[in-house]
Amino acid sequence: METTKATTPIDSKISVRNLNFYYGKFHALKAINLEIEKNKVTAFIGPSGCGKSTLLRTFNRMFELYPEQRATGEVLLDGQNVLEASQDVALLRAKVGMVFQKPTPFPMSIYDNIAFGIKLFENLNRSDMDDRVEWALRQAALWGEVKDKLTQSGSGLSGGQQQRLCIARGIAIKPEVLLLDEPCSALDPISTAKIEELISELKKDYTVVIVTHNMQQAARCSDYTAYMYLGDLVEFGTTENVFFKPTRKETEDYITGRFG
Amino acid sequence: MDKHISTQFDSELRGVSSRVLEMGGLVEAQIRLAIESLALMSADVALKAIETEEAVNQFEVDIDRELSSIIARRQPTARDLRLLMAISRITANLERVGDEAERMARMVQSICKASQALRLPSGDLRIASDLAAKQLRKALNAFARLDAADCVSILREDDLIDQEFNGFVRRLITYMMEDPRTISASLDLVFIAKAIERIGDHAKNIAECVIYIVKGTDVRHSSMADIETAVK
Repeated sequence: METTKATTPIDSKISVRNLNFYYGKFHALKAINLEIEKNKVTAFIGPSGCGKSTLLRTFNRMFELYPEQRATGEVLLDGQNVLEASQDVALLRAKVGMVFQKPTPFPMSIYDNIAFGIKLFENLNRSDMDDRVEWALRQAALWGEVKDKLTQSGSGLSGGQQQRLCIARGIAIKPEVLLLDEPCSALDPISTAKIEELISELKKDYTVVIVTHNMQQAARCSDYTAYMYLGDLVEFGTTENVFFKPTRKETEDYITGRFG
Repeated sequence: MDKHISTQFDSELRGVSSRVLEMGGLVEAQIRLAIESLALMSADVALKAIETEEAVNQFEVDIDRELSSIIARRQPTARDLRLLMAISRITANLERVGDEAERMARMVQSICKASQALRLPSGDLRIASDLAAKQLRKALNAFARLDAADCVSILREDDLIDQEFNGFVRRLITYMMEDPRTISASLDLVFIAKAIERIGDHAKNIAECVIYIVKGTDVRHSSMADIETAVK
């Protein structure tokens, strides 16, 4: 008999232990416990305001940009609690890269968009830098489309290309984890398909965590799915189980469109 | 079943489910005709059962088209997906039941042409054929109500039809040994008995599909004990 319980990933890259998060008095994440498996894609789904983006933003302390926030509990990256005050945030964000909902190319050339982040952490000579830029653009499946216009502005690219440029920028500094916050919500279906294809390529080298409103996207490109609602982690399991035979009725109602 | 945000999706699912029940009703009627033709040894009644076949086939094609359309446009998940996959299997099984009923009717026609028929114990098939028809009706009811518990009893009772089949074949062998002139008609009766036994098998398959919809567990080729655990 197959088991209906969520399987626990064996090889954890990130372990979330009893994480609570507050915006002022608002309790945004409630005692979250979760394991993010290494070299797999984990998707967070749930209705707006359920805390999925907040949870994602604890992984690289991006939440610190908001006022009056507070986090308790632990987010262990390879066993190290990233929430500790002693954690070097710049170094953390180099290890845990992030791509946002809206493509955010810097107002500079395609080449410099990639090189910018690398220069913060490494001192490469011109030819090594060229190699790294090409490598990042190839990894993001963008090289073929931009190799003849590297000096042109990044903002001249299409939305889908801009988003892949941002992914290239994210992986250029060789992070270990890539956080994607609704990376396709502003893109057309073809660009979305390219990004999804890219995500399945990227997991060979990185641990990927994706927040998405598009449930079919979670179904297509993730290995594990977490369903969140009102700050609670309702169900976590393999994507196959969550989409075919969820254990919680709340999850089933949400993914089958009975929520409301 | 509680409602989707999209009421259109709800009505599509309800629509395709009720088409399955309509198809089931037609197949049940076809079986009744086949059984009646056997009881009366009537070629005319048998013809009616044979003629029903075309409408049954058309149902299968139409329902499959509806299923593809819903899957393409709605991208169903979880129990909606299981429901649609199970419906596809259920209609395939119903269509096969229709084939078996047609086969029974054709055999009755063939026996009617031969003269030895009346001396054979064709009335003995009544028990098995009623059992098979009852099993199918129970399976369709279980589908209509999405009742997994009822399905377990259907799976258990399938053995009864198999026992009837074996007993009937043994009796026929006695007749054939006593009078070899009955062999040809006896073989027709064996085919009828086999068709009845197959109808029971299809009813069982449908019951397994209902368990799959309700519980999400694929119980095909599972032991009775495992099935009972799954349905609990």
